[in-house]
Amino acid sequence: MASITMRNLVKNYGNVTVIPGLDLEIADEEFIVLVGPSGCGKSTLLRVLAGLEAIDGGDLMIGDRRVNELPAAKRDIAMVFQDYALYPHMTVRQNMAFALEMRGLSAAEIAPRIEEAAKLLDIQPYLDRRPKALSGGQRQRVAMGRAIVRDPQVFLFDEPLSNLDAKLRGQVRAEIKTLSKKLRTTMVFVTHDQIEAMTMADRIVVMKAGIIQQVGTPEEVYENPANLFVASFIGSPSMNFLPVEVQADQLRLVDGSLLPTTLMAGQAAGHKSLTLGIRPEHFEVVGEGQGIAADIRLVEPLGSDTLVHAFAAGQEVIARVSPDLRPVTGQRLWLSPASGKAHLFDPETEVRIDGTGKVN
Amino acid sequence: MATKPSDSRWLDCINVILLVLAGVIVMTPTAWMVLSSFKPSHEVTAYPPTLIFAPTVENYVTLSEQTPFLSYAVNSLIVTVGSTLFGLLFGAPAAFVASWTRITWPAVVALMARMAPGTLFLLPWYVMFRQVDMIGSYWALILTHAVITLPIVIWVLLPYFDNIPRSIFEAAQVDGCSPFRIFRRIALPLVASGLAVSAILAFVFSWNFFLFSLVLSNSQTKTLIAASFNFIGEGSTNWGGLMAAATIIALPPLLLAAIVQRWLISGLTLGAVKG
Ligand SMILES: Nc1ncnc2c1ncn2[C@@H]1O[C@H](COP(=O)(O)OP(=O)(O)O)[C@@H](O)[C@H]1O
Ligand SMILES: [Mg+2]
Repeated sequence: MASITMRNLVKNYGNVTVIPGLDLEIADEEFIVLVGPSGCGKSTLLRVLAGLEAIDGGDLMIGDRRVNELPAAKRDIAMVFQDYALYPHMTVRQNMAFALEMRGLSAAEIAPRIEEAAKLLDIQPYLDRRPKALSGGQRQRVAMGRAIVRDPQVFLFDEPLSNLDAKLRGQVRAEIKTLSKKLRTTMVFVTHDQIEAMTMADRIVVMKAGIIQQVGTPEEVYENPANLFVASFIGSPSMNFLPVEVQADQLRLVDGSLLPTTLMAGQAAGHKSLTLGIRPEHFEVVGEGQGIAADIRLVEPLGSDTLVHAFAAGQEVIARVSPDLRPVTGQRLWLSPASGKAHLFDPETEVRIDGTGKVN
Repeated sequence: MATKPSDSRWLDCINVILLVLAGVIVMTPTAWMVLSSFKPSHEVTAYPPTLIFAPTVENYVTLSEQTPFLSYAVNSLIVTVGSTLFGLLFGAPAAFVASWTRITWPAVVALMARMAPGTLFLLPWYVMFRQVDMIGSYWALILTHAVITLPIVIWVLLPYFDNIPRSIFEAAQVDGCSPFRIFRRIALPLVASGLAVSAILAFVFSWNFFLFSLVLSNSQTKTLIAASFNFIGEGSTNWGGLMAAATIIALPPLLLAAIVQRWLISGLTLGAVKG
């Protein structure tokens, strides 16, 4: 139950700078998801927040208290580790009681809190088991229980779902989200999985090489990606990128096909070469001879919709189409971006160009 | 039953031969020693050695009559247990800190100290202890034997601590645990079997080490193994008594090793694998 403020935060490992200067405000009770490719510094940032790594520059505030020099033990933060890091020699109950004992609570104060947290997470049946006697999913719950029971200022999660199988992952994802609404505690959740980010976050922080690329709600990040990196990282399958030349009020693709600029979300005027970005789900199948010719190479039926891998405008593109279309390999489709859904990016700066023609 | 490939059978054969060889090398002198201790004194050096004889405890009786054997044994125990505890008390935290910080040079220094011949320490210790008038005290012996026990404890425990996932310590930190409490509540319980292994090894090596006691003890604090040297030399050697003394001396470490052999093996191989 505290806000977190990072001001020009710097973290180096030896002479390698992992976080070159990061600014971020996290509001009280907010659920923030840090997302980015592996090695971009997400764990490092989380460990800096937890106090497990020293800060090399800038300020870190929890609430209105500067905590740069405060050791992890005194930050009143709970963390769920990727490998859960349960204490192997303690029972589940002892694991959960440990932090409370460290804070000097009596056994009488601890017991009801464990019961409550155990009930919340459905782990009562194995409170007296050791971690070794639990399944992966159960361990994951215990790790969360150990965090919840503390009622901390901030929860930190470092890829806590990555060791679960796909089905369980989806389930726990929903549970964590429900839990966050119930607990009303500030949460910072790290993942490399954009689906986790989209489904759970109040706000997503997209990172690349230690630098924040964009901060926004899942909708904002999906609908108005700040640059090529965010556009390609968020959304699955990834956004298609096609090089185009601006010709008056039309965009000319590599294969010579033309698209009217009025379809674009951004202002093309004043630019020469641009990168056109179209999400697979934002392609529309249009009449023969219109839009872009696409020769189907592979069809992936997903049930609710069908993914079509096609060769269009000189490259591989993916389109999400209705299964009623019954596309087949070798067939030619004509595709056009849905109005207002195609994005324009400056190929030099990789920044998205918004409707005013300015780079945003 | 599945037949093994012939290569593997060959290896099994060689394995058995080697084990038998090792067994013979280790067991022959031990058996000799134990059997001799129960022979009448004149038969001990008889050639060819007698295998069938009327066992007697004569040697043990002589031993306890002629020497304050029991008090030497007590001295040995005090020094060995004392130095083992000392080694654990300081070696375990040292190993933990070395593993935590990944600074291992102090452990290397300790190991080198262990490798060096005991005489390297003997003279300085002797001079130092004489200056503070500690020659002949238990403390002098316990401290010198710590030269043996400390490195053993550190090097046995280091891989045990290294084997604990770091995130467990970090979880404890986040849970509000001070480094000292992490050591006591998390790290120590997780290396319990390592503690047992290191304690036993320290005990055995300390028990078997006689050099320091020879120089740094007096007649009141002389340890068993140093005292047993009294049987050699002075006039004629009492081989029977010596064998009896040797048998008694060998007993505690052998018993210990037998009791905890499973731990011991897993502990030693853990060290070997982790290098
Ligand atoms: N203890 C460390 N020492 C040196 N470099 C490290 C250390 N931990 C992480 N790094 C480097 O910092 C970068 C960010 O790592 P990390 O924060 O773990 O990435 P992520 O969690 O986003 O996958 C990586 O290039 C990694 O190699
Ligand atoms: Mg990571």
